[in-house]
Amino acid sequence: MKNKMLYSAVIAISIFFFLGCENENEIDGVGNLVPKTVDQDSSLPSIFINGTQLHAETFGNPNNPMLVFLHGGPGSDYRNGLNVQQLANEGYYVIFYDQRGSGLSKRHDKNSYSIQLVLDDLTEVIQYYRTFPNQKIFLFGHSWGAMLGAAYVNSYPDKIDGLILAEPGGLNKQLLDDYGEMSRKINIFSEVTSNLLYADQFLTGKENQHEILDYKYGISSSFSYAKGNKEGIPGPSPFWRIGTTVLESFTDIAENDGFDFTTNLNQYTTKVLFLYGELNQSYGLRFAQKEAAYFPNSEISEVKGTGHEMIYFKWENVHPIVLKYLNELK
Amino acid sequence: MKAILVFITFLISLFTSNFSQAQNINWENLKNNEKHILNANAGWEYSFVYGFSYGYHLKTKMPIILESSISLASGEVIFDDFKTKIGGQINVFQIKNFRFNAAIHGIYRRYENPLLTLQNFGADASTTIGYYKPKWFVAGEFGFDKAIVTHFKHSDIYKEVYPDVKNGWFEPTTGGNFNFGIQGGYSFARSDLTLRAGKVITEDFKSEPLIPFYLQIGYNYKLD
Repeated sequence: MKNKMLYSAVIAISIFFFLGCENENEIDGVGNLVPKTVDQDSSLPSIFINGTQLHAETFGNPNNPMLVFLHGGPGSDYRNGLNVQQLANEGYYVIFYDQRGSGLSKRHDKNSYSIQLVLDDLTEVIQYYRTFPNQKIFLFGHSWGAMLGAAYVNSYPDKIDGLILAEPGGLNKQLLDDYGEMSRKINIFSEVTSNLLYADQFLTGKENQHEILDYKYGISSSFSYAKGNKEGIPGPSPFWRIGTTVLESFTDIAENDGFDFTTNLNQYTTKVLFLYGELNQSYGLRFAQKEAAYFPNSEISEVKGTGHEMIYFKWENVHPIVLKYLNELK
Repeated sequence: MKAILVFITFLISLFTSNFSQAQNINWENLKNNEKHILNANAGWEYSFVYGFSYGYHLKTKMPIILESSISLASGEVIFDDFKTKIGGQINVFQIKNFRFNAAIHGIYRRYENPLLTLQNFGADASTTIGYYKPKWFVAGEFGFDKAIVTHFKHSDIYKEVYPDVKNGWFEPTTGGNFNFGIQGGYSFARSDLTLRAGKVITEDFKSEPLIPFYLQIGYNYKLD
């Protein structure tokens, strides 16, 4: 009897160690769980500006009016905005870049980020790609990217020739809180909530352990498109890698210092195009009107049949509105 | 009937448990002849969880309880997110009504969402120091939960995000959280009503889970 128990214990331990040795990977190994960033993979297109390395690429004739796409987040990337490159065939020089610490761009320490720093990055991105002094510059921002676009014209109203804002989540702290309250209601008993929170006991990356932190945030992304979500998101949209540290840094900045990107918007007299998705219950015409009211000249357009992720899921409806606006200002 | 109840509770707790700590025991109320402790609990630990545990009170000079537990995360799919634990706790020493207790458990837990499935082997250790009376107790607790080795299996949705993602076992440890808080309870007849609450912080003491608190209510029933 004793021998049988001993044999069983040996077999059980052997199986455990066999399983433990199969496909053994390092949890923070580069490229194991999330794609490499531009400083880790030289085959990725990138630019060096303002003391960092950004994942970036362009489409179209460099001598055409420039359209810079600003992705959402903070921390997300431009992968789900690539439909915008169609405008390169319609007379625009389209620039995509992953913002500092986001997507496949280089990571930095959490305490290094500031709003002014990402505004300076945008200035340098424009300078990097600009081919002649009078080249017209348009910004097209989605979600956080639209907030960033508004922040830019708030600081530099003379530098931008046209601005497209697709559902900015809040042009100041109060509006951001209002939008968050409307869009992020959760049921604590639901599967979606468990999917979002339960992984915290499996993975706990330390500060600046970017591979783990980015992966952990990425795998929780299913929360945004869960059935019944208020933002009208029907399913997953593609991304490369979430910059968790920059997201947490800007969340801390918003909570601790607040922000207001509206203080100088009355100086921006060019018409601004606001887009909102018909199916986003958290945004809608009223919220768009609230945000558009900070600009002297604006136009609001509803994009039919879509929610917050309108550029990926309903580009065919976004495209004609955007093209008409750009062509008017070209 | 009693034997069946004990056996079923043991099996459920062994094969199915989440961040349920050791059973909250009123050591002052635990009688020598009470061998089996059945427990049901619910509360917030990372997400909303409910659990069952079974404890076996050993007849030793220093009070020891061997225990197993299961906790399940709330949601439409029941057995995709759960935690099981097996281990024990011991009343190390006593000065009048003050008692110092320690617990250690081995852990198996599982997590699944549309992007991946995780299976983890881990361990936790905790201590409680408290004041125990036959009718009530209150104690402070401190514990550490380590996710030692984890198996990752990614779904097609995540492979769309990153086609070169690796599946398999990942080392070294994939995570660890400290918890500290208080627990207390009211005892009557063969029963205890218990309450635990506290804070969770990750092992680097700089970051924390999305919801960094826990709260658990529980009920113990003791049998001879």
